Amino acid sequence: MGGAFPTCKDLSEFSRKLFANQSLIRTFDDAMAYEKQFRSTVSGFITESEMDLEVIWDPMEGIYPETYVDKLNRIPDTNLATSDVGSIWSMIAAQNAIKMAGWSTDLVQSERTGVVIGSGGSANLILRNGWHNFYVFGRKTRHSGGHTVDRTMTYREAANVSVLIKNKGVCETISSACATGLGNIGYAYRLIKYGLQDRAITGGVESTSLETFIGFDGMMVLSRGFSPEESSRPFDMARNGFVCSFGAGIVALEEYEQAVSRGANILGVIDEYFNNSDGDGDMFYPSFAGQQRLWKGLLAGSNEKPDVVKVHGTSTPSGDAIELLSVVDALGEEGYHLSAPKSQFGHMLGGAGAVEFIAALLMLAEQKVLPCLNSPNLNPELETFQKNPDWNGPLKPLAAYRHLLPQKSFSKPIHSIVCLNYGFGGTNSALKLSRYDK
Amino acid sequence: MERQEIIDGLIEVLKTVRVIDPEKLVGVTEETDFLADMSVPSSQMIAIVAKVEQKFGIEFEDDDIDDLGLTVKDVVDLILKVKARG
Repeated sequence: MGGAFPTCKDLSEFSRKLFANQSLIRTFDDAMAYEKQFRSTVSGFITESEMDLEVIWDPMEGIYPETYVDKLNRIPDTNLATSDVGSIWSMIAAQNAIKMAGWSTDLVQSERTGVVIGSGGSANLILRNGWHNFYVFGRKTRHSGGHTVDRTMTYREAANVSVLIKNKGVCETISSACATGLGNIGYAYRLIKYGLQDRAITGGVESTSLETFIGFDGMMVLSRGFSPEESSRPFDMARNGFVCSFGAGIVALEEYEQAVSRGANILGVIDEYFNNSDGDGDMFYPSFAGQQRLWKGLLAGSNEKPDVVKVHGTSTPSGDAIELLSVVDALGEEGYHLSAPKSQFGHMLGGAGAVEFIAALLMLAEQKVLPCLNSPNLNPELETFQKNPDWNGPLKPLAAYRHLLPQKSFSKPIHSIVCLNYGFGGTNSALKLSRYDK
Repeated sequence: MERQEIIDGLIEVLKTVRVIDPEKLVGVTEETDFLADMSVPSSQMIAIVAKVEQKFGIEFEDDDIDDLGLTVKDVVDLILKVKARG
């Protein structure tokens, strides 16, 4: 596995900071440059220099990256020329994932190796220049750059990784808003489960983008009024929005028997993936019924409880309450814990599900539950929707489930973890992950 | 503007294109071919054209670019033609 993580040089620093209960959220410099136009100015973001990249700005206006220089020479210039920054993060993370998996060049370049990577948003930094040069300056289309298409197409991350590693199997993207990261991993899992591929490089990305931040800030759904490290506070009574963050998570999936026979260092085993839609005609509001069906589909009649539920837990007022109550509805009031990694690094949008999947793998490795920071006070009163006569979920307030939500990392035996992510459009994804028992 | 002056300016432009091996820019003559001799990826040619326009303060017609050959001489000739056209 590999990735791009705010304030972290590498995976080991990411792991160390998470289990030390640290926040990776800072004041967002790019937003501060336009401070009066924003409501929220905190983010878990990553700069180019933090990824050891140098930007070569366009000589005409200096407003867009003509290309990038990899100061560590990980990615060739020809591949950098066709990439936005999220694609570069993906290529670096893919290299790390392949190295950790121990795949030979023959395995990587096989017809049985796929690439399935997606992101939630657009390559805004590249598009910014294209549209600006055309509409505002009235320039010829060639002055928008000859790589606007390949650097901005929807499956740019998958395409750039595939061109770099030269796999000969599928190269595709799944896009499902904030469920994208888990959706790509789930789809890659199915490709292997159904015998179409033997292995896949897969995950999700959201590259640092002011335009993405503008969009969510304009919806007035971002956290406001707290210090950066206290801004993401899933399930807490004072929560008032999510922290718009950026990052990438890429993992190497392999067919189980092949990985075992190869003697691979297996970090976790995917037992099941299930996804569905709310079907209630609502673009944004979470659906308790949709999440009930999600759990039913994932568990498929099994009574075995996971040791940890890695929740979506965005820190939005309605989303967190529905999610906690749907987990309790499915698993009961005890025997497991909730982990909310967004409390530490915010909501990475299209990258969220994949980076949080990596956080789940780290929990399996460390046998420690990651916390839900900034959640000192849970609502002691019933939520408004719980008072509706049609409500068929748990009838206790969120505060009754305090024992499920650790505020600090702690050790316990962890055999299995369920990962949950949801997205605009009423899409719901769930994945069950287990520790590999030799 | 002398032809060698244009070639020197062109090489300055090519030095800013990171996918071109700097060793290929040594000993460039008017007969040097961008694809065959310099191994310029064809996808980079349009970026080079746009940079040339900026460097020399000119704007090519679309037909100029469509008809453009692949040698240094072709580019030098076109720059002189466009400059003469005013």
